[in-house]
Amino acid sequence: MANPTENLDPNPRTREPEDEVEEEEEAQELNSDDGELEEEEDEEDDDDDDDTVSNPQTREGQSKTESLPPGNDKTKDHIIEAEVEAVREANTLQELLEASRVANSNLRAMDIFDSVNITLDSGPPELPGTTNVVIEVVESKNPLTGQIGAYTRAEAKSSSVEASLKYKNIFGYGDIWDGSMVYGFDSSAEVGMGMYLPRFKGLPTPFSSQRSLGLSLGLLSSKYHELVYTVAWRNLIDPPRLASESIRRQLGHSLLSALKYTFKYDQRDSYLRPTSGYAFTSTSQIGGLSPDSRSLRFLKQEIDLRCAVPLGFYQTALNFGVSGGVTFPWGSGYRTASSVPERFFLGGNSSPVCSLGGPSALWGFSTRGLGPNEPRRRGDVERDFVGGDAAVTAFADLSFDLSFRWLRERGVHGHVFACAGNMAKLTENEFRNLSAPKLLETFRTSLGAGIVLPVSLFRMEINYCHILKKQEHDRAKSGFFLTFSA
Amino acid sequence: MEGDQDTSGFTLVTRKPCFGLPTACPNCLPAYIYLKLAQLPFQLAFNSTFPDSDELPYFETGTYVAYNNEDGGVIEKLKKDGVVNLDSQLHSQPEYLSLKALILSWLEEALAYETWVGTEGVSAWKIYYADLPWVISKVLFYKQTYMAKTRLGITKENAEQREQQIYKRASDAYEALSTRLGEQKFLFEDRPSSLDAFFLSHILFTIQVLPETSVLRCKLLEHGNLVRYADKLKLECLEAPSSSSSPPLHSFPSSFSRKGSKPKSKQKVEKTEEEKKFKKRAKYFLAAQFLAVVIYLSVMGGVSNDELEYEDDD
Repeated sequence: MANPTENLDPNPRTREPEDEVEEEEEAQELNSDDGELEEEEDEEDDDDDDDTVSNPQTREGQSKTESLPPGNDKTKDHIIEAEVEAVREANTLQELLEASRVANSNLRAMDIFDSVNITLDSGPPELPGTTNVVIEVVESKNPLTGQIGAYTRAEAKSSSVEASLKYKNIFGYGDIWDGSMVYGFDSSAEVGMGMYLPRFKGLPTPFSSQRSLGLSLGLLSSKYHELVYTVAWRNLIDPPRLASESIRRQLGHSLLSALKYTFKYDQRDSYLRPTSGYAFTSTSQIGGLSPDSRSLRFLKQEIDLRCAVPLGFYQTALNFGVSGGVTFPWGSGYRTASSVPERFFLGGNSSPVCSLGGPSALWGFSTRGLGPNEPRRRGDVERDFVGGDAAVTAFADLSFDLSFRWLRERGVHGHVFACAGNMAKLTENEFRNLSAPKLLETFRTSLGAGIVLPVSLFRMEINYCHILKKQEHDRAKSGFFLTFSA
Repeated sequence: MEGDQDTSGFTLVTRKPCFGLPTACPNCLPAYIYLKLAQLPFQLAFNSTFPDSDELPYFETGTYVAYNNEDGGVIEKLKKDGVVNLDSQLHSQPEYLSLKALILSWLEEALAYETWVGTEGVSAWKIYYADLPWVISKVLFYKQTYMAKTRLGITKENAEQREQQIYKRASDAYEALSTRLGEQKFLFEDRPSSLDAFFLSHILFTIQVLPETSVLRCKLLEHGNLVRYADKLKLECLEAPSSSSSPPLHSFPSSFSRKGSKPKSKQKVEKTEEEKKFKKRAKYFLAAQFLAVVIYLSVMGGVSNDELEYEDDD
């Protein structure tokens, strides 16, 4: 480890308030928009510009100090410290930078601060090998916010308009209180209230066909692992009274008490436009963890595998991936049908390149637009897609830069893609009718091409999609589609 | 796996069977009996997770569904849609309307009161909440009890008065129906009607489901011909899937004769199952306490002896 007292400036600057601005120019500023490349460049500049100032930021082990974040008049200190816990455990500069980036993201995600800045600075001379981590937050001046929007959810039967009001951080625990009103296009209306805590995440407010009231508790959260316990009271209803037979049978109340473990390993270079690396996610969920044997009992397993291979010209990359999942009930009700909200639904307006949440996205197919289906009540020509107990999707996507420089500079690029997917019912002895040839025969496939417009936090695609193969009643058609992924 | 379901059969979806009845829910039983009286073959399916739904019972065949909260009820909807109509040519009779008003308003009101208020929901718990988790059951039970009181117009100020009014009307209705029925097989000559389905359902529920201390039950048992009417039709219509055999209605406690029996007041309550359970638990508690005292004394007695020995050693 280099001796931080060597090459000291004979007239060292003291840490006066007016000097902090200059020091911030030398220190590495870590904001949410900075990428790793920019941080490395700053570090090199520091070395070039200021040879005489000690640089305790070596690549070997070091200790660090922290200053409590100024700016949190209302928010309790331990709430913020919980989100930056990983920074304390970093041992090298790279780990410190990564942990600081994650902490910045976590603090912003709490949605109670107008701005969050984390600054890494050299420690005091009397403590060699240390780094000061300064966290500056600005609490929201106006704790009351509102929003209105139109949504389509995979589990809901129809689209809806939602208006909500949020009151943030009343008690200083990062708590968010919200009230919402949902008006569904099937003339149903719901009013709901929710409460969010950083470690106790409230469930979303009710929507048209499923009401949920409960809590999610994060038991473990680290870079690769996440363990969440969810308890919720669910009520499946059918306000327009048009549901198909198997949905009608499941209407009613249920208690969800489930533990969900997620292992996520994502080494891709970018989430929105991966060009190299791979990712693997495994999510295991067990429901029925309650002394009451009448709670919802099920097992669910989802796997995602993504791989991005650079081809070496025009920033071309081949992305391919496969996702699969299975769910089934356990306990005395193992012969009955699986619970509808736990089943898999394929289709929708998201891109499989970005999504890592099990089999769901399939270009060209509408939300809940394929799979096992039943006729709805007489008088309604539409059909109910009731979901499947097992689902699998696969895709291949070739992305490339466009020839226009103006587009390249803004990250706009093109892609051609192909995808396939299928799902099946396994419960109620349906697995006996399942066979590999039959599954392959009924696979849905599509291909297409389009343009990807990466916006800062999400990815928008304008695609032309051609349906190669679909089954009777599937909601899919060839044409232009708009896709959003976050 | 995919594609249309089989649409050939009739299915009636009700709440689960209990108390020796094919369905113990007082809203579902009339529909069951109606279809049986009409001799329409159908299957029975159960929904035991939606106690607060007014859609149950519902009748379905293929994509046709008749919900109970449409068109005046599932029986009315089946009549209106031409599926099965036992009341043809009865609508014009003035007696039909007056009996219908008696059964569907006064008696239904009395049954709702007795189920949720009069007997404090003892039977309702088994009918509606046995298959739901405890937390959900508790909340829904209080919610439905509150809604029942609201629907019946019961407040703290008028609770007693309202109770007397409900029981008085029920007594008058029983008297009128008993006189009307006599020893006939059905309410209207020899043909079954939807009113028979409603009335038989009321009698069976009152006698088999409500506890023996129920005031309404006592009032009903005063009319022997009503009990015999229900007994006869029950043998013809009901095929109880429950394993427990349901005894004939007239063999219920002989202390209930046609005349002269006085209903037990609510203050004098026989031992219910809950009280027996409570006493059993109290006995276990006392036994555990006694055992703890004995152990304490024996351990402390041993310790003090050891201390004495130690002092002696010193």
